[in-house]
Amino acid sequence: MEKQHGIPEWLIKDENYVPQADKDTFINKSILSLLSVLARIRKQSGDHQDKFQVNAAFKVFFTLMLVTLVSISTNFIFVIVINVYLLVILSVMPAQEIVKILRTSFLVAVFTFVILLPAVFWGNGYSSIMIVSKVFATVTAVNILSYSSKWNSITSVLKRFFLPDTFILVLDITLKYIVMLGEFSLDMLFSLKLRSVGNNKSKYTSLSGIAGTMFIKSKEMADDMYAAMECRGFTGEYRINNQLKLKFADFIYITINAGIIFIFVYYGRI
Amino acid sequence: MIELKEVYYSYSGINALRNINLQIEEGEAVTLMGPNGSGKSTLLKIINGIVSPDSGVYRFNNEEITSKKLQKPEFSKLFHQKIGFVFQNSDTQLFCANVFDEVAFGPRQMGRKESEVEKRVNDCLELLNIRDFKSRQPYHLSGGEKRKVAIACVLALNPEVLVLDEPMNGLDPRTQRWLVEFLVGLSKAGKTLISSTHNLELVHEISNRAILFDENHTVVADRPTERLLEDIDLLKRVNLVDEYYHQHEGNEHRHFHDHRFIHHHNETEYQ
Repeated sequence: MEKQHGIPEWLIKDENYVPQADKDTFINKSILSLLSVLARIRKQSGDHQDKFQVNAAFKVFFTLMLVTLVSISTNFIFVIVINVYLLVILSVMPAQEIVKILRTSFLVAVFTFVILLPAVFWGNGYSSIMIVSKVFATVTAVNILSYSSKWNSITSVLKRFFLPDTFILVLDITLKYIVMLGEFSLDMLFSLKLRSVGNNKSKYTSLSGIAGTMFIKSKEMADDMYAAMECRGFTGEYRINNQLKLKFADFIYITINAGIIFIFVYYGRI
Repeated sequence: MIELKEVYYSYSGINALRNINLQIEEGEAVTLMGPNGSGKSTLLKIINGIVSPDSGVYRFNNEEITSKKLQKPEFSKLFHQKIGFVFQNSDTQLFCANVFDEVAFGPRQMGRKESEVEKRVNDCLELLNIRDFKSRQPYHLSGGEKRKVAIACVLALNPEVLVLDEPMNGLDPRTQRWLVEFLVGLSKAGKTLISSTHNLELVHEISNRAILFDENHTVVADRPTERLLEDIDLLKRVNLVDEYYHQHEGNEHRHFHDHRFIHHHNETEYQ
């Protein structure tokens, strides 16, 4: 073998290579879907995310209350008022988020309507429209909460609702590791794409290799994190800052929600 | 060979690269230097076609590389064969059952005969001194061994350009020294090498040209490596060297340290 500086001859020569046609849509689609999830999470953790300056505890509490009131209400006007209220909130959000929230809400509402179509034909049109409106309001309310609050502030609020520490810890760690493992798997997919320079007859074998490596990596990370937490004195109790500071925006938000309760009671009596 | 003109790139509105103008010729050994988060890795990703610039032009072998062209499988595959990328984290690059299959992945895809694939793999394993690992599972190897396997995987494609993101990161001194000599050998054999680092210790050995980024994500210097390393004020300004101070026999002693040389103290230095 002829060598120069220990380098084999073929490595010095120009590669005369013409790639064969092969589809690698699955790699591109996997990359795109991972990118969109990571972009969504990154956006969630951005400083601009806590919109309306309202405390996350109030947002979570009143969203749950709104969903409950909409669910138990038998008055169509109340449901319409809530839908209008939610659309007003939505109108002050960025255009991209409005599109995403409305797309989800409409999709779920249309799907519900299709499921209820037999009931419409059997003369239960009012109930069906009522259910569809309630579904629209519920999905929109939850999405507004999700898009207008940082996810970690929502998980920390759960402590106030007396959810078990371990549950909150698992949620927090899950969010963190979705990003870390997501970025890791994204790099693996990029690497697979860069090395997929020809006709890959066993695409799914490569993908299972990536899944296997991801599993090992996540186990290593979990072991390391558990050891690190033990070293820092973790005994199963998860402490968070529990101080609640009320701001002007909080008072406005509470007032609006008091109004919603009033409307619910008022229309409930009619 | 590689030309970037007025290239800008941002992640969700946060600047990662601003007004990058570069030209890298065939056979050059270039190092991108700069502090963490200055845009080195992003530039390497653009050069490898992983991401496309928000604006500006990227040309490889006088052909403009665009995201539209990279969506065409034939173009994309040929382009990726010509530019090999060694990721910063070698774990992300290894996904096959054993080292032999890992290195053979590229040549097999290129449709080479199995005898040729075997020759290429064995040559690469020998070149990187990892022949004994050919049946081992990649994820059971040490950090340095994984890096060698990752380099072997890329070399097996015989790329014209080898791009390495922080190649010395996480390697022990002996493996770093081995890698330096290996890269010097590749460079002498005519391969174009582009690497990124913020470690100044070995940079003058693996490159003859250094491109310096600052925290504003722009290129602040593009000079022969030795000349750039002599500009301590500039390196200090971009946070690549720091001023050290300690006491000798009650006297305060201050000096810049770029880690390239063993620092000896003599009486005249601090008196």
